[in-house]
Amino acid sequence: MPKAQTTPIAKAARLLDLVPYISTHQGISLKALASEFDVAPAELLDDLNTLWMCGLPGYTPLELIDLSFESGYVSIRNAEVLQKVRLLTKEELVVIAIGLDLLRDSIPAEREDLHSAITSLANKVKGLIGEVAAVTPNVNSAHRAVILRAMKERRDIEIGYHSLIRDEVSDRTITPIEIGEDNGQETLFAYCSKAKAFRTFRLDNFLSATISEQESSNSQVDQVQEDVYTAQFKINTRLRTTLERFRLDTPVISPKQGELYEVKSFSQNWLVRNFLSTMGNTQIMDSAELAELVAEKARVTLDLYRSKLFA
Amino acid sequence: MSRKTERLVNLTIALLATKRYVTKSEIFRTVEGYEGSAESKERMFERDKDDLRNLGIDIEVGSFDPLFEDEAGYRIKPDSYQFQLGDITSQEVSLLSLAAEAWRGAALDGSALTALRKLRAIGIESDLDSIPELAPHVNTRDKNLQLAIAAINSKRKITFQYLSESLEVQNRKVAPYAVASKYGHWYLYGHDLDKDALRSFRLDRIANDLQEEGRADSYEIPSDFQLRSQLTGSEEGSLALIYLRSGRALNLRVRAKALPADKKIDGWDLVELNFRDRERLIEELLWYGDDVVLHSPVDIREEIISRLENGVKTNA
Repeated sequence: MPKAQTTPIAKAARLLDLVPYISTHQGISLKALASEFDVAPAELLDDLNTLWMCGLPGYTPLELIDLSFESGYVSIRNAEVLQKVRLLTKEELVVIAIGLDLLRDSIPAEREDLHSAITSLANKVKGLIGEVAAVTPNVNSAHRAVILRAMKERRDIEIGYHSLIRDEVSDRTITPIEIGEDNGQETLFAYCSKAKAFRTFRLDNFLSATISEQESSNSQVDQVQEDVYTAQFKINTRLRTTLERFRLDTPVISPKQGELYEVKSFSQNWLVRNFLSTMGNTQIMDSAELAELVAEKARVTLDLYRSKLFA
Repeated sequence: MSRKTERLVNLTIALLATKRYVTKSEIFRTVEGYEGSAESKERMFERDKDDLRNLGIDIEVGSFDPLFEDEAGYRIKPDSYQFQLGDITSQEVSLLSLAAEAWRGAALDGSALTALRKLRAIGIESDLDSIPELAPHVNTRDKNLQLAIAAINSKRKITFQYLSESLEVQNRKVAPYAVASKYGHWYLYGHDLDKDALRSFRLDRIANDLQEEGRADSYEIPSDFQLRSQLTGSEEGSLALIYLRSGRALNLRVRAKALPADKKIDGWDLVELNFRDRERLIEELLWYGDDVVLHSPVDIREEIISRLENGVKTNA
């Protein structure tokens, strides 16, 4: 998270939060306190020196907050007025409401205790801010936790994976390399021992994930040079949706109907399905081979529609 | 710079400690840091009040004796200052902290960080062992998410530029009601003031930073606005009857309802699917090629057949 701002107002907020925190962590080291509040040690010292000058009107030693920190450990006295933890701002409550939504679906149904705790907290929050935010998570937080742990411990993961392009579910052992993002979808770049190649997996298509007992198999990586398929095409209608579907950037002004667009993919199947899908408003200009594949797929589908079976 | 900080903290302490309303002249006399001419003290105080309000600290205005037109007094009610979720258990602290942790590196991580600090300051050790290992994560850094939430919280109208389906930039003016995420995308729901209707906008289709317009509290969120039902799209749609090849079209299958077929076709399953957007349905069905055959509605079936015929012609 970024360093806290140091406007006088942000600093005042931090001072108000320091008091209850130190009160419940008497004797905490300066270093631990600085890291907890994500500030440089010098900044924290300045905070404490400022706080030391604050107190009730009168400002005699009897009224001032009494701090000691010369020893490198911080304790506080005479700060009863500020001892209560501050209320959560509306924005903090929205942050929590969304976070609770993300957790809910990832907790096994048999943990009724956690489900009812989340519901009760979510209702309290909703009572304070209204129902202004909601999330239907598409990634299971438990799967993500398994991936992160496997990367830390350099272990493989056994996954059940639903490939949208192949339209099938398969079990694979993968060596996770890096979590990334592709057009709003979280992805995992990993070595797949089934494909014997590096692959990018979408986290929302994981059906299961467990840490493998075996040593990481990452050592025998066969570097397979993969083909890249390129297509050039025109878009007749539904420009925005179609560009989003093909993962082409949508700059504000330039794209036009009837312009020539180019898309690249490692998967020819992905291209075929997308062109099949957008058959009504795209036109493949290149390659002829791709166009033929799409035509063939359209032909067999059309045959089904015309067959007696589905009449 | 630290004089301002000091004054804000001292003002908070003074107004929080008092059991009665304190007048402005008392504040200027007793709270450290108010200096200069009467006018500049006034200005300082007004600004300080706003700054504290932005930190979520509300200064209450009242008078000593309602029967007389006294000088107004000020105080901060302890209830409006302190943590408002009441007594919470260590398990609840863990859940709330985990919820805030989800924002690490995401759009509202500043507020997540301050929320986490407050939760730790409560002084109850969290009880993470009682929770399965989870790593929730919010997947957006879009600045407009924070701007939208700020506008909703203060009930301010907003304007922005939205990319239409033909990629034209449209100016929109909206009273924002809620934000939500589904399928990995974030949406803003609100009353479109020009169209005078409820609309949703995908945040990544907004071309500029949201601009607030006008005063706070300038509208109300209608009580019949139900975010959950907007999100699940549970309002009535149309029904499609679809044949799926056995074991195929998995993504469609999970959303559809299996039907007992009148005439069973070997190797195929008949399902029923609720849909709202005709064009989206056609594109989704075509994605699966010869693993999916639409039975009804008939007009959509005809449209699919005509697109396929055309596709064979132009691509061959």
